[in-house]
Amino acid sequence: MEGLRNDGRRWNELRRIHCQLSTSSTNADGSSYIEQGFTKVICNVTGPAEPSNRQRVKQDSATVSCEVYFAAFSGTDRIKRGRNDKKVQELQTAIQKTFDSVILTHLFARSEISISIHILSQDGGTLAACINAATLALIDAGIPMSDYVCACTAGQSTSIFDQEGASPDPWLDVNYLEESDIPSLTVVTVGDSEKIVALSMENKVRIERLEAMIAVGISGCARVRGIMDKEVRRYGKEKLEAEGE
Amino acid sequence: MTSIKRMLADTSGHDAITSKVYIRSAKSGKVTKIVREIYLRTDIPCSSRLCRVCLASAPVDSSNRSRPFILSEKPAGTVAFRYGHYLMPDTNIFLQCMDAIEHKSAFYDVIVLQTVLDEVKNQSLPLYNRLVSLTKSDEKRFYVFHNEFRQETHVRRGQEESINDRNDRAIRVACKWYQTHIQQAVASTGVKPPAIVMLSNDRDNLAKAKSDGVDCINLHDYVKGLANADELLDMISSSLQDQEKKSTRGANVYSEYASISKMNTGVRNGTLHQGTFHTSTYNSLEGTVGVPSFDKHLLIVGLENMNRAIDGDLVVVELLPQDQWKRQSDKLVDQDTLTKNENADVDEVESIVTEKERKALIDEAKRIQRSQDEGQKVQPTAKIIGVVKRNWRSYVGHIDPNSVNRAKSGGQQVVFFRPLDKKIPRIRVFTRQATQLLGQRIVVNIDTWDRNSRFPVGHFVRALGELESKEAETEALLLEYDVQYRPFPKAVLDCLPSVGHDWRVPEDKSDPDWDKRMDLRDLLICSIDPPGCQDIDDALHARQLPNGNCEVGVHIADVSHFVKPNNAMDDEAAQRGTTVYLVDKRIDMLPPLLGTDLCSLKPYVERYAFSVLWEMTPEAQIVNTVFTKSVIKSREAFAYKAAQMRIDDKSQTDPLTQGMRILLMLSKRLRQARMDAGALNLASPEVKVHMESETSDPASIEVKELLETNSLVEEFMLCANISVARRIYEAFPQTAMLRRHGAPPATNFDDLRSQLRARKNLDLRVDSSKALADSLDSCVDPQEPYFNTLVRIIATRCMLPAEYFSSGTQAYPEFRHYGLATDIYTHFTSPIRRYADLAAHRQLAAAIDYEPLDESLYNKNKMDAVVKNINVRHRNAQFAGRASIEYYVGQALKGKSMEQEGFVAKIFSNGFVVFVPKFGIEGTIKVESAKTYDADEYILELEDGKKVVLFDKVNVQVNFVKEQATGRRKTELTLA
Ligand SMILES: [Zn+2]
Repeated sequence: MEGLRNDGRRWNELRRIHCQLSTSSTNADGSSYIEQGFTKVICNVTGPAEPSNRQRVKQDSATVSCEVYFAAFSGTDRIKRGRNDKKVQELQTAIQKTFDSVILTHLFARSEISISIHILSQDGGTLAACINAATLALIDAGIPMSDYVCACTAGQSTSIFDQEGASPDPWLDVNYLEESDIPSLTVVTVGDSEKIVALSMENKVRIERLEAMIAVGISGCARVRGIMDKEVRRYGKEKLEAEGE
Repeated sequence: MTSIKRMLADTSGHDAITSKVYIRSAKSGKVTKIVREIYLRTDIPCSSRLCRVCLASAPVDSSNRSRPFILSEKPAGTVAFRYGHYLMPDTNIFLQCMDAIEHKSAFYDVIVLQTVLDEVKNQSLPLYNRLVSLTKSDEKRFYVFHNEFRQETHVRRGQEESINDRNDRAIRVACKWYQTHIQQAVASTGVKPPAIVMLSNDRDNLAKAKSDGVDCINLHDYVKGLANADELLDMISSSLQDQEKKSTRGANVYSEYASISKMNTGVRNGTLHQGTFHTSTYNSLEGTVGVPSFDKHLLIVGLENMNRAIDGDLVVVELLPQDQWKRQSDKLVDQDTLTKNENADVDEVESIVTEKERKALIDEAKRIQRSQDEGQKVQPTAKIIGVVKRNWRSYVGHIDPNSVNRAKSGGQQVVFFRPLDKKIPRIRVFTRQATQLLGQRIVVNIDTWDRNSRFPVGHFVRALGELESKEAETEALLLEYDVQYRPFPKAVLDCLPSVGHDWRVPEDKSDPDWDKRMDLRDLLICSIDPPGCQDIDDALHARQLPNGNCEVGVHIADVSHFVKPNNAMDDEAAQRGTTVYLVDKRIDMLPPLLGTDLCSLKPYVERYAFSVLWEMTPEAQIVNTVFTKSVIKSREAFAYKAAQMRIDDKSQTDPLTQGMRILLMLSKRLRQARMDAGALNLASPEVKVHMESETSDPASIEVKELLETNSLVEEFMLCANISVARRIYEAFPQTAMLRRHGAPPATNFDDLRSQLRARKNLDLRVDSSKALADSLDSCVDPQEPYFNTLVRIIATRCMLPAEYFSSGTQAYPEFRHYGLATDIYTHFTSPIRRYADLAAHRQLAAAIDYEPLDESLYNKNKMDAVVKNINVRHRNAQFAGRASIEYYVGQALKGKSMEQEGFVAKIFSNGFVVFVPKFGIEGTIKVESAKTYDADEYILELEDGKKVVLFDKVNVQVNFVKEQATGRRKTELTLA
């Protein structure tokens, strides 16, 4: 039709993003809260600290660990996901691997940095929101990284938009309905270098469409980075002013 | 890639966000609240060519294109709206009056609101699809305005507001916005702004619109102001016109439908049953519903129990107490005799049962009393208490002349419409053109069937032409079987190669088209088809190998090279599903440029093919199979007879002829192996017309003579289909396009078995296809050679139809093709004329890594939709083909009367069915009063003492008369 998606966005528009740093008053070293559409995630980071488990100790660098919890009310169906749930394990591995490669772990030998994520509400792009939340919480904890780690999804839309032969536009930042309807992927980049550190796909995607989807995903990451950077600077300024007084 | 990035640099176009709350109730009865975001924006254009503001800010896609504006600069005016108008109909207008809206003479420049489109989609998918195709065609200028996503026109539901009221308000708000917006757009130009006219039949909504200062009108008044008002008014659903009368109407004649929740609960806990309702072929007062929990169909007896269901409706039934269970009626009852004198105008029927019907029912009851000892034949009966899904469609037929008041000139009257399909009851139609429509073939849609109306009520859609004229009757049967026969639209033709008939296989072998394609131009390939065949799907070759084995190749037109997935041509072909062959006309699935030229494996020219190459032992055992895309050059296109003569001519010893002799030799071995495995041979030459044979071309109906070369081609096509089926199933176990033929349940043969036992003392064994094939062979009467054929014809009718399916939907043992006695089967060999074959080609191409598979062919849901459609199309194409033959036979023998030999194929207590082999037709002969009827021995004694016995030969007088009920020529039989 008019090229509008089921929530009124056009193909290249992000959903509303709201993010905050230092949201938790618990004993975490850093924390964050992010909303991407109705996907809502809380993240706490502790460390670098003494590893809780002796076996995890690495002699020359820090160990990055990750735990993900789904709130039972987070999805449309009340599914309890336990520690050994496949989806939980996949998410944990993806997040852990991503940050292990970006955090300057060699600075903190024999210590542990642990990321714990609570998913409060799922409306598509869960992995992307988790990664973005973790980035903010790590910044809040003051853990050095090479740059912002940003994630965004892109979907292979199936609607034939216009003239013959033209591939339909990829959809940026898919919501829950789109995610269950069309193949999509999550792109994770570092900084504004367009360097991809992780790419996750759960469905088959047409090879001819892949390049365009990744391109859209990368641009989405850049925009997410802009939004997070703004919030980090705002929060930093606020903090400095508070200390200056 | 760069273009996409540039686009993303743009700022986002949405300005506000709101949320929408949905309440979802799951099947399990669980209720969940779902909140979704809605992004409101200001960049959704009004799409009027008068507006510059929207044009300047029109959104673009990744290739930087924006969509052309749709609504006309100078829309048509009416008396009420002198400066032109854009129409904005509400949901009910589309639901009730789609036929009028589609009419060429009116309803241009229409704004379809998103609110309305969504409501139409929820209410009726077929109407939604029609509306969408209107918005897609350039012709009528229908524009979908996303009012729910535009900031100014988005409406939040109030606290106490119902959904309907909220949606009505949304329409008024959008109307008002458009009005102001267009006024502003033209303000500086001096052009008078067109009116935005809300079209609605809801009085309340109209009144509110008036007070809001919105232009509005009800449909009836609007149409009255148009040029051809009479015709359009006829097309407006009768329910509107009836609305006034409703309250004053008489008593209810049918019982009320149960509520949806009651039906759901009942079906779930097993007290009610759901199934599809079918009217009996021989008795319009009786029908059946097949439900999962009963082996036998449930019997529905009498109009009251049928409770307004029409053949094909999905219904919910309640079982009647056991003392009301019955035998299936063995009486012939048709609508004609029952309702001959009824008046279409009379609503106030006191009772649903007319005198004649009552008599028929009482006779029936008496008969049951007499035969109460035959308990095993009694069937459970049921009553329909609700309809889950209507199967209503457009019906072709004519107006019953007796129902027309000829004295009344002008003005509206109510007439009876008689559908061609005898399973459909007559339909009451309101019309202002009754006298003009007499003697015409017309199309009518059903609108409603209320409790207080004995017949369904419908409205006139269009006239096809005079009854019995070739054009009208051909169109009628195409419509009746839902065959898409319009010329291919431009979008489809645009997908063809631009060089047209000048297309050639590229000479340069470095051309990308040659990639992964085998060069088989040296092989001595030929095609064998019915005479005059233009769309040559298949060609063959064979040659001796040094090791004593043979190489055999089946080469199929490479249609998937030309028809790419998901373009307009593919969509059209998927919709059409199959080419339809009528006696004098072919309705193609693909444009003729492909079908009869570029894809067709014509002789002497190079063509692309999809080849199956086997190495076979001289005993026709397959040693090795290779699938490949190829380039071939057929050496000759033979007709069956010419090929036969060439093979038989001993003086011909050239390699091509020798190859054909190898093919013939191998095909005989293949055939023998198939017969040994229990393949059924149901088709006999005389009845070929009525049969579905897996590969025989439907155009071969005239071919009475079956040559060895016919079966040569058939055997190798079957062999190729089986090989391909195995390969694509291996590659795509979940979504392979396959074809199955279920084993008929033994109960299907119950009647035939007891008939054969009683009359001929023969035992028909049906436990396997092999047993059936063998015992059919033994069903012979030395005195009557035709008897065996007759039994085969009857047995064929006990079979299930073969069907396409996607492999993931059945367990492997269910893949079996009963008639061909093979464990797996598909259609691969006729891609020019069947979509299933095209799908199989694409899957095979992906399986051999020739090209990636389109998503639609590995997506289970999409495959299911494709399969469902082609099954329906395939069946309809067969029905249409048969109906066409019937029409031509009728026309050819018009007015003639002749005595013919016939055979009694079925016996009722008040008549019998006779099959006449000479014409391949059958007819029923009704007997006013029979002396005795022996249901066990299948003997009917007539008043003059003459006995009619099942399976016996009778001489009948055959007349082709115009049938009252359908306005068509039909055979009428009388005992000679
Ligand atoms: Zn405008």
